[in-house]
Amino acid sequence: MPTGDLVLAMFGSGGDGVVTMGEMMAQAGAKDGLDVMRVEAYGPQIRGGESSCTVRLSSQPIYTQGDQVEVVVVFNWQDFLRFKGELVVAQDAVVLYEESDTTPLEDVGLSLGEDARWIPVPFIALAKEAAGTTLAKNIVTLGILSEAFGVPQALIEKAITHKFSKKKAAVLEANLKGYKAGIEWGVGIKDRVADYYLEYEPGEPRLLMSGNEASAVGALHAGCRFFAGYPITPSSEVLHFLSEWMPKVGGSIIQTEDELAAMGAIIGGSFAGVKSMTATSGPGLALMTEMLGLASMAEIPVVIIDVQRGGPSTGLPTKSEQSDLWQALWGSHGDAPRVVLAPADVEDCFHATVAAFNIAEESQMPVIVLSDQFIAQRRETMSPLTLRHKVVDRVRPTDEELAEGNYQRYAYTESGISPMTWPGIKNGQYQTNGLEHTEDGRPTSMHLVHEKMNQKRYEKLRDVRSRYSYVRKYGAEKADVGILCWGSCKGPVKEAVLRAEAKGHKVSAFVPQVLYPFPQAEFEEYLKTVKNVVVVEISYSAQFYKYLKTFLDMPKDTFVFKRSGGKNLTVSEVEEKIERVLELSAVRKEVLV
Amino acid sequence: MSAVEMIQLKPGDYKTDLKPVWCPGCGDYGVLNALYRSLAKLQIEPWNTVIMSGIGCSSRLPGYVDTYGFNSVHGRALTLATGVKSARPELTVITVGGDGDGMAIGGNHFIHSCRRNMDITYILMHNEIYGLTKGQVAPTTPTGDKTKSTFYGNPEAALDPCELAISTGATWVGRGFSGDMKTLVPLMTEAISHHGFSFLNVMSPCVTFRGDDQFKVMKEKLQNVPEDHDVTSRRAAIYYTREQGVITQGVLYNTQQPSLTDRILELREQTLGDKTPPTTDEIFQAFYPQF
Ligand SMILES: Cc1ncc(C[n+]2csc(CCOP(=O)(O)OP(=O)(O)O)c2C)c(N)n1
Ligand code: SF4
Ligand SMILES: [Mg+2]
Repeated sequence: MPTGDLVLAMFGSGGDGVVTMGEMMAQAGAKDGLDVMRVEAYGPQIRGGESSCTVRLSSQPIYTQGDQVEVVVVFNWQDFLRFKGELVVAQDAVVLYEESDTTPLEDVGLSLGEDARWIPVPFIALAKEAAGTTLAKNIVTLGILSEAFGVPQALIEKAITHKFSKKKAAVLEANLKGYKAGIEWGVGIKDRVADYYLEYEPGEPRLLMSGNEASAVGALHAGCRFFAGYPITPSSEVLHFLSEWMPKVGGSIIQTEDELAAMGAIIGGSFAGVKSMTATSGPGLALMTEMLGLASMAEIPVVIIDVQRGGPSTGLPTKSEQSDLWQALWGSHGDAPRVVLAPADVEDCFHATVAAFNIAEESQMPVIVLSDQFIAQRRETMSPLTLRHKVVDRVRPTDEELAEGNYQRYAYTESGISPMTWPGIKNGQYQTNGLEHTEDGRPTSMHLVHEKMNQKRYEKLRDVRSRYSYVRKYGAEKADVGILCWGSCKGPVKEAVLRAEAKGHKVSAFVPQVLYPFPQAEFEEYLKTVKNVVVVEISYSAQFYKYLKTFLDMPKDTFVFKRSGGKNLTVSEVEEKIERVLELSAVRKEVLV
Repeated sequence: MSAVEMIQLKPGDYKTDLKPVWCPGCGDYGVLNALYRSLAKLQIEPWNTVIMSGIGCSSRLPGYVDTYGFNSVHGRALTLATGVKSARPELTVITVGGDGDGMAIGGNHFIHSCRRNMDITYILMHNEIYGLTKGQVAPTTPTGDKTKSTFYGNPEAALDPCELAISTGATWVGRGFSGDMKTLVPLMTEAISHHGFSFLNVMSPCVTFRGDDQFKVMKEKLQNVPEDHDVTSRRAAIYYTREQGVITQGVLYNTQQPSLTDRILELREQTLGDKTPPTTDEIFQAFYPQF
């Protein structure tokens, strides 16, 4: 029986075109209205190192890259082995491997079931013969995949034509020949793999973008007209995208000499009245921390996107982790209120970034959007209809407020929010600083003023808390197992909850989008609805669990599932934990009775 | 504002009601006064002007000028100024600060600000010491001098901020002395008027930590740049930065080079021009498969 949901993974070296191949499949799928997710993984090498690309194509909504790879393409077993332990292959998978790679199959570390299909393929020979170059290996493969697995054939051909349209006619022709050769070869295995043939009703074309791109578009939508950044994986795509688009919308962009300068520049830009943003990763955020405190103290709205990656220092720069949480929440000298948001998928990167600007403008404080490599660099289909979001602009003080002697930049107010002017506004001049200051911005070191100003600055969070408490809840109203997680864990957790429910278990999950100010009431309400609590996070030191403990009376027997990054969270990992907790709670009940 | 309505702004109109915290006799008073006069001379609109600073005694200056002002964090003033100017190229942007702030902790930003040649004026108050933290060695302190942090005398070599500015791309470089208003005001006026990154190094004594006689010592070393000095020659300009035993004041270097401020505006003109900017929906179109 054909399938409506297919997961393919391809492995090769830099020059093998693995990622190009994945991108073409993803685009063809998106064009045909499928739900698509494409995830890349690289070794640390800049060029030529091992790379892998996983593509999931589905006629149903999907939330993850797919746990089990069903079709595996291996150009080189050595490259495949470098990703060992990072993905699970289905027991009955189809493994298409390069015929001329003589590595004994018992050495490749893949123990599959009896139904698995190990199929040697002459990728290299076919490419040479049909296209005259081994470089066309990936295109040959696309032919095989489209014929044998139903990856949209006509659209792949269009994608190839589009890709090579700027090259010489001969190059396009050679590639199309390679593609045809792949199709012909694919006919021969079609019957053997019919259970993995993708069958679906084509629909309207879909948007296909990465979390970093979604953040960048979100920023433009929110009215961001100044971006300053310093390159760092895995955040650089934000800088790249905006280097093209920022001037097109009439804004400015600069690549600064370091992250200190990037942070300084956006504070300057925003002080000057223009919505400003930077994007970085953990090491960059560390460098920005002093000026994060400055923005907090001087009450300047800025947005910082932190795309988390694995490990401290250079760590695992190309892989994901959720270990900047504390840095984002508490990293500061002095008491420096800020807001921390956590997008949970690609589309959410758009929403969270727009919300970040709105909050920053309303509350005049820095807002950190805590994304991670897993959502920032994967590409995913989205529906344009949901991409509507209101935009809040800075409010110009009234003439009355600006009349002679009236204007106080840091006036105490009920909400803690004071009138804010910017250059160009006559009679709005003020001199601000990172020193403690009085209502009119004058430096002071008086304890009483400091106390009152701290109170004012923290008071602003109350408004944020009441207005932005967006949380996601999945599963049963009353559950035996309730999962707390954040950010990119949402996808696998949501899918695990849906699967558990399908099996008849009562399971639910709770995912906050606003991490700070802490959505206390929502968490407490949720905890009342679950019997056993499970925390899921990708941080070795369990930063999220410890954060929760500072605000909540977490049950003593809370089950914490935490591990290091470097491998994306999978549905089966979560499912396994759910099963375990269900078993344990059954035992506990027996003992009680 | 039409010319008829224009009110003549006087130096005093640029003052705020905040009293400077500086020690009596500090050189920074002279710099502040020169700034009031230069702003008045150029009739700079206070509401269209931003003065940025880092941290130090000298960095307190923005609080005393009734423009938009920001006394930010140590060493980073130029980064904020770069942001202001990138985001709002039409504003007048002036950065001020100390020699520790600009040459030590902020040295990297200084180099890159010179290189970018944005239309920013940077006024450095050069006192050869860290004033605010009470007298430690600065990158500009002469070798051998005793300071609070060099008990046995400064073991390091000093750098010359003007030399660094000229060699890294600043397009206007001058040196003045806070005890010589007659020279300083025109210099500062010229620096502010310059299109591109202008760097004015003002020798500004710290009477508290460099001794009461720093004014006298500096004044004795003072000489004017010769009238036949070719300000467009980088080599000639460098010559007047490092001479032993003298302080040459005047315009050392003055050229016109493309400024990043212009480039930003040009790019906007090329990509957007008179068109309406794309809507979010139009931007999203770029993410549909393009075949
Ligand atoms: C990150 C950081 N490090 C150190 C300091 C302490 N600090 C404040 S001002 C200063 C040096 C000031 O010297 P300078 O820039 O020459 O200014 P001056 O007081 O001489 O005008 C130092 C080290 C600080 N405020 N921030
Ligand atoms: S310590 Fe020196 S630099 Fe600071 S105010 Fe006093 S004299 Fe001026
Ligand atoms: Mg100094």
